Amino acid sequence: MPSPASIWVASARAVFTKDWRCELRSRYALNAIALFAVTTLVVTSAALGPAGTNKTLAINVLPAMLWLILLFAAAAGLPRAFVHEEESHTAIALRLAAPPSALFVGKLAFGVSLLLGIEALVAPLYLAVMSLEVASPGQLVIALVAGGYGLAVGSVLIAALASQARGRSTLFSVLAFPVLMPLLLIAIELTRNAVAGDPAGVALPQLLLYDGSVTIAGLMLFPAVWNP
Amino acid sequence: MTRTISLGLRFGLWLVMAGCIWGAFFYAWSDPAFIGQSSRILFFHVPMAWTSFVAYFAAAVWSARYLWGGRRMRHDRAAAAAVECGVLFGVLATITGSLWARIEWGAYWNWDPRQTSIVVVLLFYGAYLALRSAMADREIRARISSVYALIALVVTPFFYFIVPRITESLHPEPVINAERKLDVDPRMFQVLIASALTYTVLFFWMHNLRARSQALVDATLDDPS
Amino acid sequence: MGSVSLSFDGVRRRFGRVRALEPASGWVLAGETLVVTGANGSGKSTLLRCLAGLLAPDAGTIEHVEDGAALSPAERRARIGFVAPDLAFYDELSAGENLEFFARLRGLPVARAEELLDRVGLPADREAGALSSGMRQRLRWAWALLARPRALLLDEPFQNLDVEGENTVRSLLGEHLASGGLAVLASPVTLEVAGAVSRLDLGR
Repeated sequence: MPSPASIWVASARAVFTKDWRCELRSRYALNAIALFAVTTLVVTSAALGPAGTNKTLAINVLPAMLWLILLFAAAAGLPRAFVHEEESHTAIALRLAAPPSALFVGKLAFGVSLLLGIEALVAPLYLAVMSLEVASPGQLVIALVAGGYGLAVGSVLIAALASQARGRSTLFSVLAFPVLMPLLLIAIELTRNAVAGDPAGVALPQLLLYDGSVTIAGLMLFPAVWNP
Repeated sequence: MTRTISLGLRFGLWLVMAGCIWGAFFYAWSDPAFIGQSSRILFFHVPMAWTSFVAYFAAAVWSARYLWGGRRMRHDRAAAAAVECGVLFGVLATITGSLWARIEWGAYWNWDPRQTSIVVVLLFYGAYLALRSAMADREIRARISSVYALIALVVTPFFYFIVPRITESLHPEPVINAERKLDVDPRMFQVLIASALTYTVLFFWMHNLRARSQALVDATLDDPS
Repeated sequence: MGSVSLSFDGVRRRFGRVRALEPASGWVLAGETLVVTGANGSGKSTLLRCLAGLLAPDAGTIEHVEDGAALSPAERRARIGFVAPDLAFYDELSAGENLEFFARLRGLPVARAEELLDRVGLPADREAGALSSGMRQRLRWAWALLARPRALLLDEPFQNLDVEGENTVRSLLGEHLASGGLAVLASPVTLEVAGAVSRLDLGR
């Protein structure tokens, strides 16, 4: 008889696998995210040119633009994790069959992997197209991973909330912006330091603290969101 | 509460409010450190801002009570009423604050720590109200908006981390917050405290009215007879 | 199968201004079926959802007891079998993959999914999105029975089924009741169900 803990892990893994299997077959969210990211990248490049050659712009402006692109991409693709379940009425079956915490962790893992995957595509493209040289690439990777996680966990949690209401996609942006704003600004600072070659400073622990707090808040609050 | 007592309390509140206004303009001195009579705005601005923060925390507390205190609609009505009244105080605080900032520092907006925090509160208030208006079913509305209020509370402290970043990038020297100076003069201190208490009482009175009127609406929907 | 009973008292629900369910009371014991009838809009589906733990009633109590212990709403959700017209599955996955997913979610062996697909007569490899409405109904039944629930909540359970399909699910229902389970069945038209039956009419 498998232990409750191993069943829980298997449940979370089942949700993760199912989401990816469905996603790879329909490619809806992947297309949406990739399209948004590439379009915004193209617009940025067309508007600013290879701005990375200008040192002031490289440090003050380009890190912020990168994170705006990632924010748009996240808003385009991550809400689907819950909105799609509600709209296609598969949420009913999930409510009855899935332990809420395992469901949340599974969806979170899906969102994080999706966003990190997009970052792996967008970040190198961005650096190349904008001619941006990064003094501490290792620090940039840390910023992208820790910041990307924060973006994903905030988005998935807010997506769960927004999926219970009408006007879900616009509502998502309204709800998510205030919640994600601190994360974005801290991540931008961390990225800026990586570009300039400055030490990460206090931004990294703050970012990790945000990630941890929102994850714990999500785990505690999700059952109340999901079930009456 | 009988009608007479209620009438008496309301009359008392009007009197105290009038007293605060008188005190702000005639009893307290105008702080010479500030331009002209402009420091008098602070007797109203600071309590308004303070009250909107009180409303913010009250909404979060009532949301928590709703979620973990038996799912009583009373608590959800209280949380929503706190936000609705809090918006009023927050908007007024922002307007009075930026007017004063224009006089004192030459610019309506500086992303000074206090200014940032009131914007954050208003952003979350707006999002909360937008969320509520998007859900027709009251049980779902109560549950989801309570969760959002708590998420807002978790995330709000992080804004204090980011404030130095904003001010550093736009202004090399952070703007000094001069409000601390008010604590020095006893008359000004008295009026400020009196005003803060009065505003708080005013808020809770408005909140009480709002919550009770919503309760009546809910009651008629439950039992139209 | 252990003991089970389900009772509810004064359960009501409104959605905004619409009073979807007026106070309803009833009970079901092991081996029995409660047939809930009523006109469209009388609250049959709403009642079933409240019993399933999918909706919180505005007032009233629901008691679902298994092995002498009353279940919490979360336990109720996990333990019941539920069939309803709007219950949907993942269109991109096959019927077999859908059931395997839900089996894994509940910590059940994957073989259980295959066993039930066989029993309801569904091909495992057809994409759920490509199933006819009758086959989808069979899939719903298979899904509902995955965890061997003691309480079945059935909202229009024979909808869209052909003769063979209806015979299959009726025999499934009969087996369930014979082994000590209970069922609450909602239908807009009067139904004949084998075994011990009580009726609740929501009117309107």
